[in-house]
Amino acid sequence: MDFAETLKLALSAIWAHKLRSFLTLLGMIIGVTAFMVVLSILQGFNVYVDEKIAGIGSNSFTVRRFSFDDFKDTDTIAAAQRRNKELSFDELDFLREHAQLIDKIGAKSGGGPVEIKRDNESLQDVSVSGVEPVIAQIEKTDIADGRFFSETENNNSMRVVFVGMDVANKLFPQGDALGGEITIRGIPYKIIGIQTAKGTVFGQPQDSFVQLPLKTYGLAFGGLTRGRAPYFEASARSDKVFKDAVEEARTLMRIKRKLDFGEKDNFGILTPDAISGLKDSIFGTTFIVILLVPTIALVVGAIVIMNIMLVAVTERTREIGIRKSLGAREADILKQFLYESATLATIGGIIGLILAKLIGFIVTSFLLPTVIPWYAAVIAIGVCAIVGIVAGLYPAWKAARLDPIEALRAE
Amino acid sequence: MYRFMENENGEPGATSNGAQSSGKTLISMHNIWKTYQMGVEELHALRDVSFQVEKGEYLAIIGPSGSGKSTLMNLIGCLDSPTKGEYWINGNLVSDMTDDELARIRNKEIGFVFQTFNLLARATALHNVELPLIYAGMRAGERNEKAQAALASVELGDRVTHKPNELSGGQRQRVAIARALVNHPSILLADEPTGALDSKTSVEIMALFEKLHAEGNTIIVVTHEHDVAARAHRILTIRDGQIEKDEKIR
Repeated sequence: MDFAETLKLALSAIWAHKLRSFLTLLGMIIGVTAFMVVLSILQGFNVYVDEKIAGIGSNSFTVRRFSFDDFKDTDTIAAAQRRNKELSFDELDFLREHAQLIDKIGAKSGGGPVEIKRDNESLQDVSVSGVEPVIAQIEKTDIADGRFFSETENNNSMRVVFVGMDVANKLFPQGDALGGEITIRGIPYKIIGIQTAKGTVFGQPQDSFVQLPLKTYGLAFGGLTRGRAPYFEASARSDKVFKDAVEEARTLMRIKRKLDFGEKDNFGILTPDAISGLKDSIFGTTFIVILLVPTIALVVGAIVIMNIMLVAVTERTREIGIRKSLGAREADILKQFLYESATLATIGGIIGLILAKLIGFIVTSFLLPTVIPWYAAVIAIGVCAIVGIVAGLYPAWKAARLDPIEALRAE
Repeated sequence: MYRFMENENGEPGATSNGAQSSGKTLISMHNIWKTYQMGVEELHALRDVSFQVEKGEYLAIIGPSGSGKSTLMNLIGCLDSPTKGEYWINGNLVSDMTDDELARIRNKEIGFVFQTFNLLARATALHNVELPLIYAGMRAGERNEKAQAALASVELGDRVTHKPNELSGGQRQRVAIARALVNHPSILLADEPTGALDSKTSVEIMALFEKLHAEGNTIIVVTHEHDVAARAHRILTIRDGQIEKDEKIR
């Protein structure tokens, strides 16, 4: 008996007991769904961290006043506040001048929530920051309309802004944002560019921001110090030299700040890796525990399938006798029941996967992106098939070993 | 020359051993014993049974219940193996075979017809008839054709998509007969084929058996009904695990 034949037989046997098959699979479905939802959130979070928080592509990093380690506890925070000085433009020039592996480097500042206005309309909690024009190239900013500001506009502290899609849409519902004027703290600015919409992440709109030329920002908000002290964003010449570029930046900063050998950095460098590391330390153990629970559901699902297959073998003893009398070998019967339990479990897996995908859509639209990697889906289905085979092994073996005479006599 | 003479004179039993040699003997049982162990006691269901069936014979096996007739049928049908003795079917020594080899012989050499039909309830008439061909490893197209033809030959060509519960008792038994014949077995082995049928339908089924016999099929009917046995050409009477009588009636 070939594969297609046996599969057809398995499907018709499952279909003959639709409700029973479905109830049998509930454990399996819940297990797979829970597993895949957790996994998709985890994966989504990974992507979110790698792409959105790090925000700046895989071969860029930031140099900041504090490092992650400085935020360990109140003591380290206090110590860092004493030791770590604000970054200065001197240091930026030093890096720009001496770095070999850095492709581009620029300064950013601010980002706090500010109210912006257009005539009588106003918009709260808009992230307003000042950036150097080169930042657009480092962050690979997607421009939907208009352009980013130029060096000249920065150097002359011109009142121009680059805005997110939300700002444009909410303050200019007619769609005439480009060239329009908005007011921040009483000063008017002209919109010269709009960024392509990015959507929401963790419920946080990514398109509610205004970027000013760095010097314009400094002038309007009262100098680039304290809360508005600059931090640097840099990109490496290539992915290959990324780590070396980060090391180079660190070394140059240490030279510039005259740190002795063995002395701790008094600044922080944030790479996508550092953020991933933080994420792992937060979520690693939690997710392992969360993933354990669905695994238990899978085991329970397997036991239920085994139980129902034992019932099926008993119910169909006479059928087995008939098949044997017509020439079915032990292997044929074994295969028939193994395929049946494997198909059953695989159907459970597929249903679970579809449910997880649906739940994923909902989570994505309300909370954060979810991703089910294709290999995880394939593995999940494969695991289900294996669970089905393992669960079906004993019942199928029992069926195959039945004595045809006894089986034919069964009612 | 001498050796040939010696053979012919010295071993009269040689011809009876000739399932392979004669080419006409389909079934050949030699000193078959079937013993069941009941605790410490041994129960002999068959005791030293020997007989042959030629190709094209129509044989009835009769005997009261408990005579060993069912045991004999199970052995002929290769559902069971004898405790002692040799059993040849169509040139194959089946008494020593493994379970899987027996399954292959059942598939190729035996066509079963049961008292209670033993059709798969969920499957159509066509699929039921296809079953032996599936286990013979035949391709779907060819299989379908053969099963259609087999159903047509028992006058059920217009009922192929019906399930057993949509058919009358006589029709079900004819589906079972079509299934038994579809793989062209050496023997059609029927166990009380009219036991679950009314007398009118019984007559139809027995007429079908006669037609099949006339077409050259070898038929063995196991029954306790004398009028069913009387349709056969030879009657083997079993009593207490032994052959009591073996008579040609036609």
